[in-house]
Amino acid sequence: MHGLFRWSRKWWPGLIPLAMLWALAAWNSTVSMERDLSASASAAVKSDVLDKTRIAVAGRDVTFAADAFSEEGRRSAVTSVESVSGVRLVNDRTQLVAEAKPYVWSAERDVVRVTLGGSTPLPAIKARLLEAAKAALNGVEVVDRMGFARGAPARFDAAVLLLIEQVARLKEGKITLSDRAVSLSGMARDLGGREAIVAALRNLPEGFSVAANDVAAPPYVFQANKDPVGVTLTLTGYVPDNAAHAALVAAAQRKFFSEKVVDNLKASIGAPKGFSDAVLRALGALSRLSTGSLVVSDREVKLSGDALYDGAANQIRTTLPKELPEGWTAKAEVSVKPAAAPVDASVCQRLFTETLSKGTIRFETGSATINVDSAGLLDRLAETALRCPTASIEINGHTDGDGDDAANQALSEKRAQSVVDFLVKAGLPADRFKATGYGSSQPVADNDSEEGKARNRRIDFLVR
Amino acid sequence: MAYLVTFHWGWLLGSLLLGLGMGWIAVVQHGDGISKATAQRLAVLVVILVGVAVARLVPGRFGYWLDLGLVMFAAYLVGCTIGSGLRDRFISRQAPSA
Repeated sequence: MHGLFRWSRKWWPGLIPLAMLWALAAWNSTVSMERDLSASASAAVKSDVLDKTRIAVAGRDVTFAADAFSEEGRRSAVTSVESVSGVRLVNDRTQLVAEAKPYVWSAERDVVRVTLGGSTPLPAIKARLLEAAKAALNGVEVVDRMGFARGAPARFDAAVLLLIEQVARLKEGKITLSDRAVSLSGMARDLGGREAIVAALRNLPEGFSVAANDVAAPPYVFQANKDPVGVTLTLTGYVPDNAAHAALVAAAQRKFFSEKVVDNLKASIGAPKGFSDAVLRALGALSRLSTGSLVVSDREVKLSGDALYDGAANQIRTTLPKELPEGWTAKAEVSVKPAAAPVDASVCQRLFTETLSKGTIRFETGSATINVDSAGLLDRLAETALRCPTASIEINGHTDGDGDDAANQALSEKRAQSVVDFLVKAGLPADRFKATGYGSSQPVADNDSEEGKARNRRIDFLVR
Repeated sequence: MAYLVTFHWGWLLGSLLLGLGMGWIAVVQHGDGISKATAQRLAVLVVILVGVAVARLVPGRFGYWLDLGLVMFAAYLVGCTIGSGLRDRFISRQAPSA
């Protein structure tokens, strides 16, 4: 042992090469060891849920900065780095993700892209939202501007997933979720898109509510075009459903007695309230025009064309706006067709017969009130009457064989008088007309069938 | 420590061999070597340095270099001890009797 002390006093010369070796080792190994530690530390926190992880190694000391989503997660991540073999000290620069109040998430859609912004609670949820957005938007560019924040309401992800589906229904606009209140604005992609969004939002998780829904839908358009050359009525645009579709086409066929109805209508939800009623009234007005078009856009009715005579034009202008349901507006740009050349009595008779062979003047059942569907036909008859101003005209009412004769007689007289009243109101002198009722005494067909009865219920025009 | 040894085993082995050589030579070297007072001062210095290293007072790369230096120095001392011991046992003691 004594020898060891003696010898050890002579060991110092070796310190010089040792120092050189030390310097060489330090120069050679520092960077590679730091890299090794950095890799090990990164691997150690890989399974921890963190954001903005930064690991810097100086010597064997690790500076570890990261945003954690919970205090436990933060502590566990720091422990993971501390337990990496070789690490001497950990400079803990970790912090908790900031808490957001109110907790806001948003999706904004413009022509080319959808931008997701605001806060999400966890990377996994953020990834899921992005994936869902890409799937729902099918090829539209999705820009991710979402950050992280704590304090998301319960079932945040379910609510946002539902909202992402609604973004797909928008052409442009913005959906914002603030805490548990949803606000929507913009324009729906399709007709009925607004309604579809409203329906979908009913499935929001409990506690979530719609604070404002200012999504507008494209206008609900219905168009009708009366073409006197092709003798057609073309219907285009939308109707609420198949039942309304059938009813509308049937009504059009009654009102446009001589035209062929071309039906290009499509069923779609999103019709404004009172749609069918308004369209029927507007079609009635169109049926009185010789040529014209009708555009119904949302709650706005625009009618333009030529009426057959002055009185009709005035009537249409004044009555159409009044007839429409509440909240609807009408714009009737109706001019008058140039008057046709006067004709003599025999031509007039032929024109009456021709017109009445195409359509029948209809009355309400058992009454003398003229059915609204006959307005177009009566206008045509009035126009013909105007062409032979000197001729006097007998207007004869007939009924079918049902009911007793006295009642039929009275009804036929009243109905003939109703027609005369109409013509007088149209501006024709009353002394040119004579209303006569024949009851069921002059049938033109068998009263045994419904078809025959319908033919017997008629008004004839006889020019004298 | 274990990490230092496994990561730097080559350098430590070098230090050990250097110590072995130095220890081998030291036994038969003439002269007095360093004085007892100097040896004590050196020992105190080493103890202070070890204390600083254990307390992790020096940060970053300097701290690492200090650790590395001390570990290499320890390996060197071990080498010296073994070298001197071997020389003393197998050669120095046999020489006079030969």
